[in-house]
Amino acid sequence: MIAGAVLLYFTIRRIVYKQIDNSLITEMEIIQDQIVQTDTIPDFAVSFGHQIEVRLLNDPLSELKVINDTIVSDTITGENLPFRYLYYKGNTDQNKGYTIRILQTLSEKKELLEDISLFLFFLFLSLFLISILLNYLISRRLWNPFNVTVSNAEKFNIQSDKPIELPETNIKEFQQLNTVFNQMTRKMRNDYLNLKEYNENAAHEIQTPLAIIQSKLEILMQRKELKKESINLIKSINEATARLFKLNQGLLLISKIENLYFREEKEVSLKQIIGNSIIQYKEIMHLKKITVETEANDPAIVRMNQTLAEVLISNLISNAVRYNIDGGFIKCCINKGFLTITNSGTPLKTDPELLFRRFHKISENPQSVGLGLSIVKKIADTYKMIITYTCSGNIHELRLDYNLEMVPRSTVKSET
Amino acid sequence: MKLLIIEDDRSLCTAISDYLKMEGHICEIAQNYRQAINKAADNRYDCIILDIGLPDGNGLDIIRELKANKSTDGILILSARSSLDDKLTGLKIGADDYLTKPFHFAEMSARINSIYRRNNQLGLNVISFNEIKVNTSDNQAYVNDTMLNLTRKEYDLLVFFVTNRNRIITKESIVEHLWGDEVILTDSFDFVYTHVKNLRKKIVKAGGKNYIKCIYGFGYKFLDS
Repeated sequence: MIAGAVLLYFTIRRIVYKQIDNSLITEMEIIQDQIVQTDTIPDFAVSFGHQIEVRLLNDPLSELKVINDTIVSDTITGENLPFRYLYYKGNTDQNKGYTIRILQTLSEKKELLEDISLFLFFLFLSLFLISILLNYLISRRLWNPFNVTVSNAEKFNIQSDKPIELPETNIKEFQQLNTVFNQMTRKMRNDYLNLKEYNENAAHEIQTPLAIIQSKLEILMQRKELKKESINLIKSINEATARLFKLNQGLLLISKIENLYFREEKEVSLKQIIGNSIIQYKEIMHLKKITVETEANDPAIVRMNQTLAEVLISNLISNAVRYNIDGGFIKCCINKGFLTITNSGTPLKTDPELLFRRFHKISENPQSVGLGLSIVKKIADTYKMIITYTCSGNIHELRLDYNLEMVPRSTVKSET
Repeated sequence: MKLLIIEDDRSLCTAISDYLKMEGHICEIAQNYRQAINKAADNRYDCIILDIGLPDGNGLDIIRELKANKSTDGILILSARSSLDDKLTGLKIGADDYLTKPFHFAEMSARINSIYRRNNQLGLNVISFNEIKVNTSDNQAYVNDTMLNLTRKEYDLLVFFVTNRNRIITKESIVEHLWGDEVILTDSFDFVYTHVKNLRKKIVKAGGKNYIKCIYGFGYKFLDS
């Protein structure tokens, strides 16, 4: 564009100059004619902007014709002004030399030139700016569907039922993009669902062979002629089978939760469930001489699936009983928005961070399968509850923030 | 008792059949819907053990069919699905009890006996073993007419022992029988031991003999030595 402007300037300049030069030449020719024909210098009007000087000489001169720019000082103002001049040296037919000098002012022309150039420059500049602006606006609108697609792709959650939302567009390339995204996310989701279903089916299918193993073992056990060695072997198999069974149950439960089996929800009172759970474990607590205390400051109503609520609480209470010492205590504190279960017990030997991980076992007891707390966490996560574990010496505390909106700000702990 | 076992898995089917035969029952088997319907239509059974996950038809339909024909056979449902819906439906349409796979055979035995007792009572329902009598109508146990003061768990344990007499009962099956699904405790064997100890003490104190034998490695056996 700049090159164009420059070119334009010089073109206009050339045109203007050509015009001046032509008039200089025409004047020269008129004067020439008169000299050659009459041997006299014509009369002409002279102004400052237009000077003519003609001289007749006696001797011949060598021919010369020059047209060029020059600067003339204005004697009055002292300014230096631009002029264009023509200087001619020639001879008459009688070989008498003569010179012609014509000066033409360029000021006006120059001003004209400058004005035109400036105008054109600004014209171009504004065209340029406008085109940039238009470009920006158009491109923004153009790329909008793309940006929306990208942002929605970022938000896509494979675990949610919602398909990816892609904007309608009549731009072919973006339509292609959207199609691909749709297909890809649909396939991802299907694969994920299939995997979950597979997990559940696998766990499910395991139950029948397990039942068979257990049944054969029971029959084997009844044999009268068993030797001690055989008994030990059967015992080991039995124990391993029992563990396998529990493991499978746990996995089945987790995969059922993921597959939304426990979708049905209603208002359940955690206080009531804790109460029931304690009654169920009462006998065992009695045998272990564990004292239980419940402080209920709130009915702790949550909207969730009844079965899952019972499993959650049952697991927590079960842990509080199992890892307790003889003559120990359990204290349940139910408040608005959160509840805590504190119990005495043996000091924890493992990293609290890993506590809720699947298969992480707290005790070395081979019977323990390590799924209890991860089931708790899974249920907590499903209902956006936060479960935290703290330990000071021999006192263990599990805190469940079951309704974050209700918890007083100062007591909220961050999730582990 | 005459029993019908409807189970599509051959291994499991024979296992159940063998176990129950060992207990002295007569067992017939059916391995699909068709066979099941035919057998049930032609014969009367004291109890039908039915797996509702049959390949060629829903087992629940068998129950409906039986009830439509006014059958009074006892029905025990077996299922790999621990689905609450199935369970409730099954019980609602007329099944007597429900067991989830895998289960302990002693448990299955106890439930079959329980169903039998319920269906065949025309008055008092008493299980007896020598001097021990258990009255299941009022949930009381007696040794030579002396009433035993048993806790709920101890009573359940006694019934379990008596119905599974002369069989080895594993600790695991006792745990499952006493606490079922409600309570998740993997190391509850101590509790079993305590209950057994208390039960034994109470029986002996009332003048009964100790029939509860501890079987090394497995559990217990209730028998007259």
